[in-house]
Amino acid sequence: MTARAFAACMVAALLVGCATVPQNRRGHLADPMMTLSEEPLDSARRQKMYDTREGAAGGDGANAGGGCGCQ
Amino acid sequence: MTARAPPAPRHSRAGIVSKLTIGPGPASPRTRRFGIVSKLTIAVFGVLAAVRTGRADGPAASPGSLRDEDILGRATPTFRVDSVTTRLTSFNQYGSGYQAQGGPTPSSPGNERATILEPQVEIDASQGPRLSHRFWVPVDVVTNASADAIDVMTSASRHVESGAIDWAAKYKVDADSDVTVRSGIHLENPFRSWTAGLAWSRALADGDTVVSASTLEVFDWFDRFDIHGGRHGRTDRTTTTVSAGVTQILTPTTIANVNYGITMQRGEMGNTWNSVPLEGNVRGPELLPSERLRHALVLRAAQFLPWNGALHVYYRLYADDWGTVAHSAEAELLQRVSPALTLGALYRIHRQSGVDFFTTLADPSAPLRTSDSDLAPFDSQTFGGKVVVDAPMRGEIRALHLELGYERYFRTNDLHIDVFTCATGYRF
Repeated sequence: MTARAFAACMVAALLVGCATVPQNRRGHLADPMMTLSEEPLDSARRQKMYDTREGAAGGDGANAGGGCGCQ
Repeated sequence: MTARAPPAPRHSRAGIVSKLTIGPGPASPRTRRFGIVSKLTIAVFGVLAAVRTGRADGPAASPGSLRDEDILGRATPTFRVDSVTTRLTSFNQYGSGYQAQGGPTPSSPGNERATILEPQVEIDASQGPRLSHRFWVPVDVVTNASADAIDVMTSASRHVESGAIDWAAKYKVDADSDVTVRSGIHLENPFRSWTAGLAWSRALADGDTVVSASTLEVFDWFDRFDIHGGRHGRTDRTTTTVSAGVTQILTPTTIANVNYGITMQRGEMGNTWNSVPLEGNVRGPELLPSERLRHALVLRAAQFLPWNGALHVYYRLYADDWGTVAHSAEAELLQRVSPALTLGALYRIHRQSGVDFFTTLADPSAPLRTSDSDLAPFDSQTFGGKVVVDAPMRGEIRALHLELGYERYFRTNDLHIDVFTCATGYRF
């Protein structure tokens, strides 16, 4: 049930995206605060802490380490 | 971060002279002569200015067809450093774990105290209008790790240094798509690691949608130890990750990203010196499968807030074939206090189920076993805050970036980490 609700939310979110936002209305999206990816060095140090201390690394482009999460 | 600001407008001499000579003068012979001279002067300067402009900027753009280089200036084919960023982070870890020896008895958890100092440097550079480079050099200095332990790393891990070099080159294929090639090497005392990757992205629907895909291959090569400190040659591990994602502009103030990735690992999956408390008050080696398949689904979204702030939300669902299922959720609130000053607050929660064969007291005949507290079922939370200053500058350095941050990570199985970080960035 949870998986279906999650999938429905995903589809709804993607359908909303079908409405094109003109370039002259994207001013707020160009604000540096709105960047989806973090500043790379900040992201790297946070990713490293979670990858090495939690057994759930990998799958999203980061180095996955071994069974213990060690790099 | 690498966007180039428009240069100061170039005033052509012809334009200035023209303005100075606007309007008819008295019609005397002297002034008529002066008028002719001035007109010739205007013409000469006009031609010179046109030639000079043509050399610098190429043919003038026709009205209504303004190009990027008309605003940003022509990109030179030479190597140009766009920004340099440095970051220094310290991790102070406290706690205990059953994988470490050194407890009061063989079946007791050992000390997990560690201090890690991590300086990083990043250089962004461009080479012409299509090619850009990113060089990243992180260094780890680990001190005071497992100081009370009696395992193989007792003395070595009291002071360990490691470093890496990572290079990513991005080539802009056309206005909508680019390809990135990445390679790197990681060096550590008993450990070597090589990384190679390829990524592709393409913008669709006038930039409303960006689809991306990437693959990353990591090869680790490291010493094999037993839990008593004996070295038994070398072993290795390969890690292959494939991921794909979509970034979508949802509204003029909302943007979201979905990414799914799968990671396949083969080889020695442990660090080889982790130990497990066994029945009979003794310790034995950790026994892990030789393969691991990991899946991760990540959702990100950013919402611009009317009071000049932004809210970022993040959710990650993780599952692997060792039995771990993990949920991570995060929210970060950014608030611009002044044009140069931004404050941020962060909260993250993580829950994982642990691997199927985790134990704190294993049967000696168990084919798989681990006591690694990182693979145990636990919840963790992170609180944090940061202060960011982005100040425009004059001269060679166009902008200065300063950041100070603190985070506290703690989890339910006796571990917490204090993180202090500071960064400086220079944009040219």
